[in-house]
Amino acid sequence: MNEAGYLRLGMELIVFPPSYLNGERVVKKTIYLGIISLMSAMALRSLNLPGVGTKYEFETDKGDTVAIFFTRTGTIQMYTLQKGCKTPSAAEMTPVEARRLGNILTGAIIEAEQESVEIAFSALADLRVTIHTFYIPKGIAGKTIEDLQIRAKTGATVIAVCRHDRNIINPAPSFVFEEGDAALVIGESDQIKKFEREIMVE
Amino acid sequence: MEGFIIALFVCLVLALISKYLAVPAIPFYILAGIVLGKAGLGIVQSTEISQFFSEIGLLFLLFFMGLELKLDRMIADPSKLLTAGLIGLVVDMGIGFTAAYLLGFPLIQAFIIGTAFYITSTAIVITALIENRKLMMKEAELIIWIEVFEDIVLIIIIAVLSAGDKDLLFFFLKIALALGIMYAIAHYGKEFLVSILDRDDETPILFTFAAVLTTASMAIMFGIPDTMMVIALGAALATTDPEAFEQHARPFKDVFLVMFFVFFGVTIDFASGVDLYTIGILCILAVVSKLISGMLIGLTIFGSALSGLEIWANTISRGEFSIALAVLYGSPVVGTVIAALVIVTTLVGAFTSKYSTWMRRGIVSHSRRRALVHRPHTNR
Repeated sequence: MNEAGYLRLGMELIVFPPSYLNGERVVKKTIYLGIISLMSAMALRSLNLPGVGTKYEFETDKGDTVAIFFTRTGTIQMYTLQKGCKTPSAAEMTPVEARRLGNILTGAIIEAEQESVEIAFSALADLRVTIHTFYIPKGIAGKTIEDLQIRAKTGATVIAVCRHDRNIINPAPSFVFEEGDAALVIGESDQIKKFEREIMVE
Repeated sequence: MEGFIIALFVCLVLALISKYLAVPAIPFYILAGIVLGKAGLGIVQSTEISQFFSEIGLLFLLFFMGLELKLDRMIADPSKLLTAGLIGLVVDMGIGFTAAYLLGFPLIQAFIIGTAFYITSTAIVITALIENRKLMMKEAELIIWIEVFEDIVLIIIIAVLSAGDKDLLFFFLKIALALGIMYAIAHYGKEFLVSILDRDDETPILFTFAAVLTTASMAIMFGIPDTMMVIALGAALATTDPEAFEQHARPFKDVFLVMFFVFFGVTIDFASGVDLYTIGILCILAVVSKLISGMLIGLTIFGSALSGLEIWANTISRGEFSIALAVLYGSPVVGTVIAALVIVTTLVGAFTSKYSTWMRRGIVSHSRRRALVHRPHTNR
């Protein structure tokens, strides 16, 4: 295994070098659990550049080149070089922006405010898990998770709630929602749809 | 003490300005030191406190250099790097040394000027590559490895210079013993070290600071160069968890290195007898010699003069290591020369690295236009 983890999501590839998850050791471990295979079909080259950071480069089938640099300064630079072109074009991103881009590239739905990520574990009988964010409307504010019978009605689970930039992980059944809370719901895509239909409209 | 605070405040303002303009801050720190110090207004004096802070700055610079020095790092094509590195070494050091010697500097001082003339600033060069978004260029990777090559050359030169005229066998035995102890601690105490670094409280940062200062003072006690030992400490600790050490040592390096640059400027004295003529020649040569070595590297490695131009544009800046050499081994005259060298090359280098793409484009379109005009069967 290379020092960076390669996480294969369906047909797409997201690379998480350690610098990307700086200081989030727990996250790193859970992500490493998802490591299934090292992409070798796509000629991905990774290189540690002293003083700069880690470089990832690959050439697409059509001959274009994409290079990503995770710099020491914490920013991520993405270069694309069209086949036959001499000068690449570059974009510099913060880790948050890079993660968003990664979500877009993996095909997850991104709406203006709500976003969702689908993770596929191809080694586990193509197990697919979707995580979706929902903003709690006025209608269900003041109710608890138990009141709403989320698990019984939809099968989905609320794994975290973000309230005023504070995160509550694994909220208890007695957790009371407030208007504007961002709830992270995990489940199959059908369960997520059910959640949207049955819980969000109440 | 007031002088020290004034210097600190001026540096803060300068740092903000240089970050806003996206130019390297090192020349501004030195200029501020010159203006505030002996050669200028005389507001800030070099005191025992400032010398201590400067020294810590230097030690942390060298410690970082050691941390970056991971010997297991391999490059795809080592022979390429070696060729490029040696061209730079021979051309730049050769021109610098010869020029300094011909201008009347004694042999050793000419050698120090030659080395300062050769070593580029890793920090400035790499920051410029990142900020100007040049990392993907094929020359960028080579430039980064050339910087590593230069660092290794610098370590060898520091070892040679600090050995001096001491009893060589005994001296190297002591160094070997110290290296052995450090690597043994890093190897056998790895788990303990990592467990300290993993803590969330003040211990990791305290440990890093104490390790560097203890090593330096122990080295002085046993009569071996502290500079060498701090680099070696960095290299030894790089085998444990270099990222954590870098993270904990960075605040010390950032603050004290700025003090180091300012107080280097403060101690500069134009009355030490150096003429502008000498400074001017060396500064012009510093830019020209990198053009020659850059062109030679570009032609041998990539077979293209344009690549040479790109390498030149990005490797002009001399900086922290040149100043370190001046402080460690240079006479006051050499210090003034190197200060001027650093200020001129960093400002020229900031400009060329920013606009090298334009330069290249200009040259390419010019030659294309010429080719069009000379094309015999053109319809135009």
